[in-house]
Amino acid sequence: MDRNQTLVYEPVEIEAFDFRRAMEEASRCLLCEDAPCSTACPSDTDPEKFIRSIRFKNVNGAAETIRESNILGASCALICPQEKLCEQACNRCGIDEPIQIGKLQQFAMEYERKLDKTYLSKTDTYIDKHVACIGAGPASLACAAELAKEGVEVTIFDENEKPGGMLRYEIPPYRLPDVVIEQDIRQLEKLGVKFELNHKVTIDEKEQMKNEYDAVFVGAGTWEAKKIDIPGINLEGVVNALDFLEQAKVSNGKSPSLGRVVIVGGGDVGMDCASTCKHLGADSIYDVFMETLKDAPATEKEKVESFKIGVPLISEFKPVEIIGDEKVEKVKFEHITNGSTMEMVADTVIMAVGQKTRQDAQYWNQRSDIFTGGDMVNGGDTVVQAVKEGKEAATKIINTTFKN
Amino acid sequence: MKKDLSIDFLGVHCENPFFLSSSPVCNNAEQIAKAFDAGWAGIFYKTVGIEGMNECSPRFDVLSDDPSSWSGFKNMEQISEMSLEQNVEEIKKLKENYPNKVLGISIMGSTEEEWRTLAKAVTEAGADLIELNFSCPQMTSHDMGSDVGQNPQLVSDYTRAVVESTHVPVIAKMTPNVAEMSDTAIAAANSGAKSVSAINTIKSITNIDIDNMTGKPVVNGKSSVSGYSGNAAKPIALRFITELAQCEDLKDVELSGIGGIETWQDALEFMLLGCRNVQVTTSVMQYGYRIVEDLISGLSHFMEERGVDHLDEIVGKAVNNIIPSEELDRSFMIIPKVDEDKCVGCARCYISCYDGSHQAIEWDNKTRTPKILEDKCVGCHLCINVCPVTDCITPGDIVFKDGQSNSRSEKEIAQQLVYL
Repeated sequence: MDRNQTLVYEPVEIEAFDFRRAMEEASRCLLCEDAPCSTACPSDTDPEKFIRSIRFKNVNGAAETIRESNILGASCALICPQEKLCEQACNRCGIDEPIQIGKLQQFAMEYERKLDKTYLSKTDTYIDKHVACIGAGPASLACAAELAKEGVEVTIFDENEKPGGMLRYEIPPYRLPDVVIEQDIRQLEKLGVKFELNHKVTIDEKEQMKNEYDAVFVGAGTWEAKKIDIPGINLEGVVNALDFLEQAKVSNGKSPSLGRVVIVGGGDVGMDCASTCKHLGADSIYDVFMETLKDAPATEKEKVESFKIGVPLISEFKPVEIIGDEKVEKVKFEHITNGSTMEMVADTVIMAVGQKTRQDAQYWNQRSDIFTGGDMVNGGDTVVQAVKEGKEAATKIINTTFKN
Repeated sequence: MKKDLSIDFLGVHCENPFFLSSSPVCNNAEQIAKAFDAGWAGIFYKTVGIEGMNECSPRFDVLSDDPSSWSGFKNMEQISEMSLEQNVEEIKKLKENYPNKVLGISIMGSTEEEWRTLAKAVTEAGADLIELNFSCPQMTSHDMGSDVGQNPQLVSDYTRAVVESTHVPVIAKMTPNVAEMSDTAIAAANSGAKSVSAINTIKSITNIDIDNMTGKPVVNGKSSVSGYSGNAAKPIALRFITELAQCEDLKDVELSGIGGIETWQDALEFMLLGCRNVQVTTSVMQYGYRIVEDLISGLSHFMEERGVDHLDEIVGKAVNNIIPSEELDRSFMIIPKVDEDKCVGCARCYISCYDGSHQAIEWDNKTRTPKILEDKCVGCHLCINVCPVTDCITPGDIVFKDGQSNSRSEKEIAQQLVYL
């Protein structure tokens, strides 16, 4: 076993606990009554129950519990900000460190994948119903799975070549390998969900779908970067984070030379950009953000990871100007309170200052005859939140449409 | 995953093979209602006597390597604290509210007359089964408990008294505080018991308190020998179950397995040795009734994976594979191999092999790697058991001793070994 981590942009898989490590970690679990970890999970993934199953050597049962509540259980194990959700709530924090819930979830999901297990099954409750889900991202996938389990025939439409939405096109593969996304998608396929890919659904088409299907769900994500209005923002070499991450992903990490990189933004997307730049071999990388280090929205784990790979995080500076002729040469920052200024030389500037809801979102969100959920509604939240909203939409579809 | 886990026990239909054993986890109707709701198929109600018991405080002690799980557990509780009349009322409530659950009622008297009285009373109250407690090792009366269970004549007399006083099937609960269990089990069967359950707790002193110079738990400066249970007791229980399952004179007697069951695998092990159901207490005392969820789920997944439709197909499957040691195949050795990429260089295998086996591992302290010396290795696998890394030391070549062979291929022999 190599004690030094090596950087691989597209690892085949991410190291998981083996049976012994999983048992050790599960035996640390206090198995609380009315467990706060389970209450803290937006999608009701129920860590208390699945950890208890691992503790009692029922790995199948653990995987089944995860799958029943979270169709993206394998992906969420790797990318969920557990430290802000279940692990933060963990009562073991009162003794020492929280249980590594994400690692235990990953263990159960690896078991499912390696043994090619299927835990979900269909009932025939609503076998004559048809639903269209627009967008193949987390909310839509969750909505589709919930409906398919009840026997509904669901078709998912997406303009991209592959399903997964931001899982597929934004989250770097060293955090979420393709094989894990495929594992989650396969569970939907086993439930009989159909995918219509490379199919951008127009507004007219959506209206038509309303007549063809018993219900239409739109979960089209955000996909639009916020832009800050400062001089030089349109210079060559200034890119927004989502475009950068997507480009890196579709080119399998083989991007043209980035040179010296300055990233603006202290969220998880900013940190993802920083580590992606490292993988892509940038000459130097600095991440600058307005918040204090503690308040920057990225998870502690991501911040520590940035330090580990040697990316300095510079807090409490905001960008005021991007300097250059046609191409970016420097970025000028100002301290948010004490008046200090700083100019950083840059060949590439990545703006990771958040996403905004797409322009058509409001239109769909206001429609009472269309169901919506996910980032398109909440403006950009976690994957597990999107799963929750997708599931809620499915329940709403059943209660308001099918039961009438 | 929903599988049909139902199985008949003494002609009584049970929704699954999971029962609570007679103990503090089955004290009264309110408590047992929660157990039934959690999914237990039935219970053996905490032993009913004529009078309620007077108990000491504290009354438990624990043996464990880490605080999160007990390997062993000692208790000094006797039978029910309630009187016969009170218990009859509780049993009636359960019978009324849970007609589809199985009510096994454990009883214990000190004279034939008391056994008869108890048997009649709990039968009238609604018992589906009666279990005879011949085995509690911490009774304050020597006319009761494991002192009785060690005496085949008393077991026979009391069993007959009960069988004559009830129409429901009778189970005799055995004490492990004997050299062989079959004599007492046969005595019970010959007197009309249809089933034997084993084991009750093992007489023990779990720890000595070095400040008070007495055993634990310390009761006003003193302690007593009393019953030991928990996962550490499972091997002893499985050994007695094997003895009963292989006993010709007991082949019509149904077995109920007890002893250290925590997981579905533990339960399955008892069933493979011939038990038609299992009884659980210690792990419920530590983790609660909810452990039945994973017993049910885990066993269901196992059946699904192995294509087993009904538990009857697996009951007793391991019985004939436990053979006298003189009959074991001693023709070969399986030499372990070390995966150097996985080895972290702790040398625990080297230490154990040198000090505890045959000095068959050479240790290179420059490269920090072990090397197995095939001419000295005897294939005992102490190194595999002590290695802290998964799949680092694994079974390797099979070597037949001078000119010997057997009917199985090397591959078949090797595939039988699974080290987690």
